[in-house]
Amino acid sequence: MDAQIAEDPVGARRARARPAPLAPWRRLRRIVLLATAICLIPAGVSYLGSMSGPHNVGLGVTSVEWMRGHGGNGIVSQIENWYYTLTAPSKGGPALRSLPAVGVAGGGDGESASQPYRPPRIEPLIHPALPGEGVWRAAAAHAGPEPPVLLTTFRSDPEYPQFVAGVAWIDSRRTRLAYVPGLAEPPEISNRGPAEVPPARRRGLVATFNGGFPLETSNAGLVYRGHTVETMVNGIATLVEYRDGRIDIVRWEHGANPGPRVWFAKQNLPPIIYGGQLNPNLSDGPEWGATVNNAVRVWRSGLGIDANGNLLYAVANDQTVGSLAEILKRAGAVRALELDINEDWVSFITYRRRGAVDPSNLLPEIYRPSDRYLAPDERDFFAVYARGRW
Amino acid sequence: MARARRITPGAEARRALLVDVLAAVVLAILALSLAAGIGVVGFFGLPLLVLGLAWIGGERLLARIRSR
Repeated sequence: MDAQIAEDPVGARRARARPAPLAPWRRLRRIVLLATAICLIPAGVSYLGSMSGPHNVGLGVTSVEWMRGHGGNGIVSQIENWYYTLTAPSKGGPALRSLPAVGVAGGGDGESASQPYRPPRIEPLIHPALPGEGVWRAAAAHAGPEPPVLLTTFRSDPEYPQFVAGVAWIDSRRTRLAYVPGLAEPPEISNRGPAEVPPARRRGLVATFNGGFPLETSNAGLVYRGHTVETMVNGIATLVEYRDGRIDIVRWEHGANPGPRVWFAKQNLPPIIYGGQLNPNLSDGPEWGATVNNAVRVWRSGLGIDANGNLLYAVANDQTVGSLAEILKRAGAVRALELDINEDWVSFITYRRRGAVDPSNLLPEIYRPSDRYLAPDERDFFAVYARGRW
Repeated sequence: MARARRITPGAEARRALLVDVLAAVVLAILALSLAAGIGVVGFFGLPLLVLGLAWIGGERLLARIRSR
């Protein structure tokens, strides 16, 4: 070698300048990083494509939803479980002095022979009761003697005296429910529509509220305008609208085929109330979908039906599936299902004046804007229209 | 008898890089097909790439500081 260098000094300088061959572990590192970069190409293309579409939520929420929709649901749910467990509320605390004002006028506290049916006042759990606690109030100023939607709030848990649940009662005789697909949920649907309350139908709009879990996490099916979007699953709680306009909440037992009578059916997890009783299995299990644990306290919403066939919607922060079921049962639900959860997705909005004017969230802590469903929304939701004159 | 072919260190490095790229492609295909979805790949891949590049960058920075 020395002789070679002496004969070829330029070659020797080049040889000294060249780096030594990579150590095996450095080559392994290079392989792993190259493989990672290659893997990130399709992920990046998909992510950027998803982000470039229309959205009405922030980048963080949209990113989490993209991950949920691309195989990362288990990871997201696990992180959420950790977060909500670490930030769980403490029991006790100072008593509330007042409840948030809901509605616009007295809606009556019970039925009488001269008046149409009204739900009875929700009996307060904590005494003394606060002014207006559990008392139904009409949602709109022009509702007349038979308000189609009544609202109330009450403290739902004596161990947590600061928890306030918002409940809405929807008169099935005076309203018609419509399912509205969102921009991204359900993911595969024909005739998606505008993903908002159509402007032409806003004159009769009474209320709007959030839908259920995304299809991929709900273990469930969907029928839209008589067509099966996702196969129906037996044993799952189902909000069903028949072609004659009748609404019901049932435990689905009709197999994959919805039959000719069903116009719309949205399933979401097992029933939380059935036959007037809480589901005895409200603890965690695979039947409750790929989402945060049932015992985790988080914003939750649910929909029930009372013995007279009217709908009851409930929403509250820091609820388990069990405590949500208790709220709906106390409000009079005999059958109920859980709807969407998390602060990003729950909404119950009423419109104080005709034409979807002066919208108002059921609870002031709901952070999504009250005009949420008057612009295209990510997720599917329900619109409640008045029947007849409004 | 044929003479043994001389391979320059540069050619050897390029060959090693080619082999590593091929191995990385195989590894990437394996990861993409085994993962539950590209969301999972992105979740783990992005921090891994950032950390790896930071590692290499840190090494080079240290080497430059030492050589001064």
